[in-house]
Amino acid sequence: MTSAGIPYEHAVEAWRAAAPAPPRSLDVPAADVLAAHHPDHQAHGTTTLRVGANAGDRCPSVLADLLESASLVDDVDIAGTAVADTDVVVVGGGGAGCAAALTAADQGARVLVLNKLRLGDSNTVMAEGGIQAAVAPEDSLQRHFADTVRAGHLAGSRDLVAAMVHDGPDVIRWLIQLGVTFDTVAGDAGEVLMARGRAGGTTVPRILSCRDHTGLEIMRSLREAVALHPGIVVRDHAPVVELLTDTHGRCTGAVVVDLVSNAVQLVRANAVLLTTGGAGRLYVGSFPSSNHYGATADGLVLAYRAGARLVDVDSFQYHPTGLAWPSALVGQLITEAARGAGALLVNGHGERFVDEVAPRDVVAAAMLREMADGRAVERDGQVGLLLDVPSLVADQPEILTDRLVTLAKLAARAGVDPTAEPLMVRPTLHYQNGGVVIDEHGATGVAGLWCAGEVAGGIHGRNRVMGNALLDILAFGRRAGRAAAHAAGERIRRPVGLHHLQQWQRGLVDAGLPLDRRAPLLFPPESNVTPDDVMARCR
Amino acid sequence: MRIEIDGRKITAADGTTLLGAWLAAGHPLVDHVGCMGQGVCGACRVLVRRAGQDEATTELACVTRAEDGLQAAFLDDTTPHRAHPYHLDPTHDSWDAHGRVTEVFPEAPSCRHCDGCNNACPVDLEVHEGVVAAVAGDLVAAAGRFEDCVMCDLCTTACPEHIAPNHLGLFLRRMTTSLSLRPDDLLRRLHEIERGHMTIDVHASVEERG
Ligand SMILES: Cc1cc2nc3c(=O)[nH]c(=O)nc-3n(C[C@H](O)[C@H](O)[C@H](O)COP(=O)(O)OP(=O)(O)OC[C@H]3O[C@@H](n4cnc5c(N)ncnc54)[C@H](O)[C@@H]3O)c2cc1C
Ligand code: SF4
Ligand code: SF4
Repeated sequence: MTSAGIPYEHAVEAWRAAAPAPPRSLDVPAADVLAAHHPDHQAHGTTTLRVGANAGDRCPSVLADLLESASLVDDVDIAGTAVADTDVVVVGGGGAGCAAALTAADQGARVLVLNKLRLGDSNTVMAEGGIQAAVAPEDSLQRHFADTVRAGHLAGSRDLVAAMVHDGPDVIRWLIQLGVTFDTVAGDAGEVLMARGRAGGTTVPRILSCRDHTGLEIMRSLREAVALHPGIVVRDHAPVVELLTDTHGRCTGAVVVDLVSNAVQLVRANAVLLTTGGAGRLYVGSFPSSNHYGATADGLVLAYRAGARLVDVDSFQYHPTGLAWPSALVGQLITEAARGAGALLVNGHGERFVDEVAPRDVVAAAMLREMADGRAVERDGQVGLLLDVPSLVADQPEILTDRLVTLAKLAARAGVDPTAEPLMVRPTLHYQNGGVVIDEHGATGVAGLWCAGEVAGGIHGRNRVMGNALLDILAFGRRAGRAAAHAAGERIRRPVGLHHLQQWQRGLVDAGLPLDRRAPLLFPPESNVTPDDVMARCR
Repeated sequence: MRIEIDGRKITAADGTTLLGAWLAAGHPLVDHVGCMGQGVCGACRVLVRRAGQDEATTELACVTRAEDGLQAAFLDDTTPHRAHPYHLDPTHDSWDAHGRVTEVFPEAPSCRHCDGCNNACPVDLEVHEGVVAAVAGDLVAAAGRFEDCVMCDLCTTACPEHIAPNHLGLFLRRMTTSLSLRPDDLLRRLHEIERGHMTIDVHASVEERG
């Protein structure tokens, strides 16, 4: 995929001679670079889905293998297993899950949150740069809406984008009420204004932040609020491995594996809410990933098998600045806020090659082009581009202590002095653009099943702007939590079974697909644990 | 280099983290892991003893690098059994913020200044100083000490007075923010939206950029 680049020592000399390098935008149209170099546009490593609601759609093979797989459980596993009842079950306590749980519980629902790892061990806690909301006088909801739709190549649902954008300012108020702090600046008249950074591909600075550990700040408070809420029960190390359905195909609960006691358990609920996050740990296209350990597409697999439709499953976000060296840290994220503040990308010749604040997909594709054409930098077998942090620091001496604190820590771990030496970066698999089709309330096509957060799709189209994921998970987490609590108000006890699996199994057989390939994956490929291993512990 | 994790002898490559070495050696990993490399979730707590060192330290296995002769053991996560419940009520009398600290964390004034929390903290926060400042009523300064806290709960485990320092710190951060942060631009925008003065036209034309 990548041809070797210019040796690091030469590249650093070239960088030093030119720094700060003069602007140079793409020499060809962005659409051409995307077509030639963005992984979404390459047929290699993809396949056509053969079963389920998206049969006929293109999908990366690593994901298709999971979507078109057999269940980890059958009727024998669940026969005679005790059933626990709750109103709302939330699967995955990241940001979306916690927002949904708090909202549902505030409406009076009894909520159970099931976590594969622990509450809050998620992509949310790792988020760095910030969250979008149109609060500035020169900004508007309409402008945020247009920026989001445009960045997504017009592929997102306008109704979903409008719902998310509309909720923006209210989400920020809600976070502040929960004790989440944001950076502020003083206005001309001494008034308190929210500090704002600029996201690539947008028309106005709209990123609200808490330094460059916004996700940590948000997750700490959400987790504590959930843990202290009397209406919410939290269970850690309890991944969901299958959904429960009644004879009408309605989702009525979930099958849980308790990794502490090694037992299969059933939960019956009036509303099931999937907030399992993304799929970065599938390493689509063999890219490194910025994601947490549990990002293995479990929710996509569960919802798809139950009959839900997915959208844009072939579209992923490759964040331009994952670390490319040293090898132990490859894939670790450097926030886009660094480029937003002025950090430049240069190739092995010390030249810039793209507008650093162009949309993420364009910047990533331009970097992959430099790597493919031999203009990248090579160090100890790793290939990447240079991120000119020293010139940024020369220009804004306080930036590493005031704003980019996570970047400074990561540089220290890499053994790089960011005031003197550029960091080596390369695109890293960051975000699942698509996901389960939802409406404005997080409802899926499957009765009884709601989705919110990265597992859901249709909002960001085929490219997401920085800061819109955190807004998305909180806006739709709250919306889905409210809707699920409302539905749970009926308090009807429905039968639980694995009714959806009969038809699913038949579909696999008809399509000639193997029945011994089981999913969800639960733990990533490097975990040394297969889903079958997990189930074997319980038998 | 040779290291030992949970009693298993492992040959680790230069530069790898403890979790990386554990996985590369083929051992299964389903807990004691979360963000996997960023050091922000606090799941991978380990007790570490380096060659030639008498004292053990507590660290995060996803960021600590392997060193020849290093021994490590995973520390199970335990939920603190003395909860300090509170509800951030927006109508609460903020003039009484200092009083609320000891109301919710009654053990805090009994701090015996043993530095157990500081020694336990894997991200080297001045936890003890935060507790002392909180008791003295220096709330904003105290909250600031916990800015980089990853909520690993090691200080809570270490504290002989059951003060739960990190939960105290988070309480202070949350309370001071929720009672005092009122950005003018946000207030204005919410007002506009709630009065129906700012809406979205979903049919407006949006041009794709070239
Ligand atoms: C390093 C990094 C930096 C980022 N920076 C930003 C940023 O600055 N701004 C922004 O807007 N976005 C950012 N993002 C994206 C954003 O953080 C995520 O898209 C978002 O947090 C996802 O939230 P979520 O709640 O949907 O999923 P997560 O937060 O990932 O939560 C999902 C939870 O479900 C659990 N789970 C998974 N499977 C199961 C199962 N089978 N059973 C039970 N539980 C399960 C997971 O372990 C996890 O705890 C960043 C992402 C990363 C990785
Ligand atoms: S203050 Fe306590 S909980 Fe926070 S990082 Fe330090 S030891 Fe962990
Ligand atoms: S461990 Fe507890 S008692 Fe000791 S200094 Fe820290 S807060 Fe005080």
